[in-house]
Amino acid sequence: MDEVRMVRDSYPEPPPPTAQMIGRARALLDGPPRRSRPRLGWGLGGGLVAAGAAAAVAIAFTGGNAPAPAPSGTVSLDGKAAFLAAAEKAEQQPVGRYWYADVVSGQSYIMRARTGTYAITGAHDETFGWWGAKSGMGEAYYGRDLPARPLTARDAELWRKAGSPSSFRVRSDDRYITYTTKATKWRSDGPEKGTYPHGGGKFLDGKSVEQLQSLPTDPAKLAKEFLGEADAAAGLPAGKGLPPEQRASSTIHRVASIMDAPLPPKVRAGLMRALAAQPGVRAIGRDSDPLGRRGIALASGERTTTVTAADGRPASEAGTYRSRTVIIFDERTGAMLSRQEELTRSGGEYREMRPGFVIEYQTLRSAAWTGTRPAPPSELPFK
Amino acid sequence: MTGDPPPHPAESFDRVFDAYFAEIYRYAAKRLGPDAGSDVAAQTFLEAFRQRGRYDPARAGVRTWLYGIATKVVGRHQRAETRALRARARLGPGRDTEEHTDRVDARVSAEGLRGEIAGAVAALPRGQRDVLLLVALADLSHDEVAAALGISYGTVGSRLNRARTTLRKALGGTNPMLTLEEQHG
Repeated sequence: MDEVRMVRDSYPEPPPPTAQMIGRARALLDGPPRRSRPRLGWGLGGGLVAAGAAAAVAIAFTGGNAPAPAPSGTVSLDGKAAFLAAAEKAEQQPVGRYWYADVVSGQSYIMRARTGTYAITGAHDETFGWWGAKSGMGEAYYGRDLPARPLTARDAELWRKAGSPSSFRVRSDDRYITYTTKATKWRSDGPEKGTYPHGGGKFLDGKSVEQLQSLPTDPAKLAKEFLGEADAAAGLPAGKGLPPEQRASSTIHRVASIMDAPLPPKVRAGLMRALAAQPGVRAIGRDSDPLGRRGIALASGERTTTVTAADGRPASEAGTYRSRTVIIFDERTGAMLSRQEELTRSGGEYREMRPGFVIEYQTLRSAAWTGTRPAPPSELPFK
Repeated sequence: MTGDPPPHPAESFDRVFDAYFAEIYRYAAKRLGPDAGSDVAAQTFLEAFRQRGRYDPARAGVRTWLYGIATKVVGRHQRAETRALRARARLGPGRDTEEHTDRVDARVSAEGLRGEIAGAVAALPRGQRDVLLLVALADLSHDEVAAALGISYGTVGSRLNRARTTLRKALGGTNPMLTLEEQHG
């Protein structure tokens, strides 16, 4: 008597997921940053994925004259020309023996001190990976927690006024977390890390260095290979489905995730051009990343996030703000610097913050070929 | 998919979503029904997305990892699962015994068996039910179940055995499988 098989046979086959189900699940991923994700809820009946998404957190496209965080004005034409010029400069770098990529990411939290409200970066970490050029040369992943820190010089001033606290209790989704101003050491073991002595040779989507070298350089072909998925994944025909600002944001996220691979400069330039040509993606001129590096940027359209206290969130978080996804490239080398979510209109929990405030970011501290086996840097990315 | 390594969540989560959403939805929808299943699948990918930096390929395949998260999310909806199982259990005999004696065709008796199984599965402790359903519905090996749930290989075996014993007893120690096999030819 095979009970397992009986159980298997006793469950009816469910209908396949609808395009709407897939689209909604996908939209959650493309939605606003970790901190303010829609709360998943029950009880609206029927297909109720995110009660929060439907009822409390409305994400809507706002076109027109968005307040630009960067120096505003005639951004489109100049910005785009400058951006495409940067793409031209995507630097030639000879293939070495090892590729490495060093990524710093963080999430902003608002501290409401009696002496004044300021922002800190929490959930702050750095990951470092290296890969041998050929299979068998090894690969390794390291990570460390970075100190929580005031976001800007102005935030640092208010933090000092508040008595320079060394720990920050913040609300993250539906619980409280405490971040401290201590860094941890690099670790290469534990659940998310590791060293694989026989690895290496596989990069973006498992492609070898040779395969990356023979990728097309034409923007249209690259867009087809790498950027055409947002709608397809939602089960929808291209261009019809996700709202344009969400598609654009999702495409920027995808390009950012590709850009730390060892792509030949012409491929990188082609991808930058392809991204600049995507509907809903606009050039916004110059911008800087949390490491203080300036570059030339593209951004998605704005999306609106509304949080109501009825959703079980503290009243201090209720309200509406707008934000956009930004990707910044080095103007001289064409290297990607950062992908970040920036406030475009203050409100809600970010009511005291100014446009340009970085809500969440993932910054590429460095990525390059080297001749010798790389090691993670000991110095912290922030002084 | 052959030959290609599975996508790494930290590098290409979109591909992970594309590759596994339908499968995770199917597992959740089997356990909870399509509506709640769709919610659970969405929640699973949201959690996976947030944890993607912590995914360790040395410990579990991407698929196994996702089933582990999905099972935890299903666990938060115990009442929905119990409701779903009870609803199916009601399709079984016992509620309408008169009718049952009249209708002995294979279809009804297969439905009745499904109802009894659903009732028995509903009565299993959660740990045993998770192991049983990861094996039965997701086709995970004992190793994979252990990795997905973060329990030892031995615990997988013992939970599965206890679940099977309970089911066997609940079904009266008979072999109702024969009915199903005859029916399926």
